[in-house]
Amino acid sequence: MQNFQQNLAKLEAADTQVLGVSMDSPFSNKAWAEQINVTFPLLSDLGGEITRKYGLYDEKRKIGRRVNFLIDKDGKIVDMQIDSDAVDPTHLVTVCENRKHKG
Amino acid sequence: MRQTAVLLLLSVLALAAPRAGTNLWAQGDKKEAPPPLALKVGDMAPDFTMLNTKMQQVSLKDFRGKTVALAFYIFAFTPG
Repeated sequence: MQNFQQNLAKLEAADTQVLGVSMDSPFSNKAWAEQINVTFPLLSDLGGEITRKYGLYDEKRKIGRRVNFLIDKDGKIVDMQIDSDAVDPTHLVTVCENRKHKG
Repeated sequence: MRQTAVLLLLSVLALAAPRAGTNLWAQGDKKEAPPPLALKVGDMAPDFTMLNTKMQQVSLKDFRGKTVALAFYIFAFTPG
């Protein structure tokens, strides 16, 4: 999430709302957001219902996968970054900036 | 001439065979590739309602009309 925070100004300039999601409690997320100065919302999927709904729950390792989805104004997925590719959001930033230019 | 070509081909195959064998073993040792996602580009993102850190409910549909970067991370207090 630190990498998203670093790119937040660029994403906001491209009319993009960043939302983080994990299977942590809101309390953990709050403590972490304060520690690393994350200013966008961190959402709590305690129990993993949404992680499963998105097909990201790894049954074997009992954890969620790291995935970034770019969702357009109509709610459609227009891009995604999966697992290790999701650590660096630079690609999504570029896509958002290009989409904004296209209008 | 033709015999030479056949011999050449055979020797090339003989050289390649152990390598192929090694690769096959290597493949067996390799970690399982992560399964592809069920969701694809072009699909509608499933709606959700979750609590933010202020204990407020946040839904995907609250952001209709705006582009959303939805970042699933593994756990709080982990890097990335």
